[in-house]
Amino acid sequence: MSGEKGIAGNNFVSDPSTWVDRYGDYLFRYSLMRLRNRELAENAVQETFLAALTARRSFSGRSTERTWMVGILKHKVIDHYRKTFREKSISEIQTDEEQTVDSFYDAAGNPGKFPKDWMPDPQALLHSKEFWDTFRECLSKLPERTAAAFSMRELDDLDTPEICKELGINPTNLWVILHRARLQLRECLERNWFEKKGSHE
Amino acid sequence: MSNWEEETKTFLVISCKQAARLVSISIERKLTFREALTMSIHLWMCKTCNLYRRQIQKLRKILIRHEDVLNNTPSSDSECLDLKARQRMKDMLSGRK
Repeated sequence: MSGEKGIAGNNFVSDPSTWVDRYGDYLFRYSLMRLRNRELAENAVQETFLAALTARRSFSGRSTERTWMVGILKHKVIDHYRKTFREKSISEIQTDEEQTVDSFYDAAGNPGKFPKDWMPDPQALLHSKEFWDTFRECLSKLPERTAAAFSMRELDDLDTPEICKELGINPTNLWVILHRARLQLRECLERNWFEKKGSHE
Repeated sequence: MSNWEEETKTFLVISCKQAARLVSISIERKLTFREALTMSIHLWMCKTCNLYRRQIQKLRKILIRHEDVLNNTPSSDSECLDLKARQRMKDMLSGRK
């Protein structure tokens, strides 16, 4: 969280009763993207508001109010990831992931299905709501811990040491997990987006 | 095939499965000389893996901009807090229980 210094009665913070209307949907979208479940995402937003309310005197005004709240929410999301990762031992993760990777190939290491050209160019899809819905759906088909690692890497652009520290895994674990996530997501997006929508546009 | 050819082949030729793994790892760290060499050779020869790599890179480029995009794209109802949750949070923040 930014600004640890407590400044009594600072007036950097706006009236908390306006927060839901001003930041609620943005924070919700942020957490829904990462937690992929409405209820979990709602709870994370609520906890964020509560934490911000408690800590509002320490907000320094160095960043915008929204950035400050996103910072709090980021930690809430990572807390959730950590809990998710704790459920299974690392060796189990490693075996699962490797089996999934294997399922994409035959014994000789040739892909079972060949990728197709993606049309239209994904750059053009950036602002398509449906594309993001499909992406979220595909992300939610991954096991939670795979999705968590992938989100930290590709949505939050954290690097290997940071993610490993947060999740208590080693780089080799992480790279297997990310590889599996990329294989699965690519395939899911192709099947649910590019093969369906792309051909009509 | 001579012994030498056999060994060179084992050294330089990798499967699509191994190539895809290296594509992913190359995003995370610098490849060793041998990894980089075998990946390049494979991608040079294999259209499928080449396409795979381009798609993975495209996907990364899109995802890194998602915050921007979600910020500027009007959201659908499915991406908004519902009324009940809104009210609950408003009550909490204005000190009503």
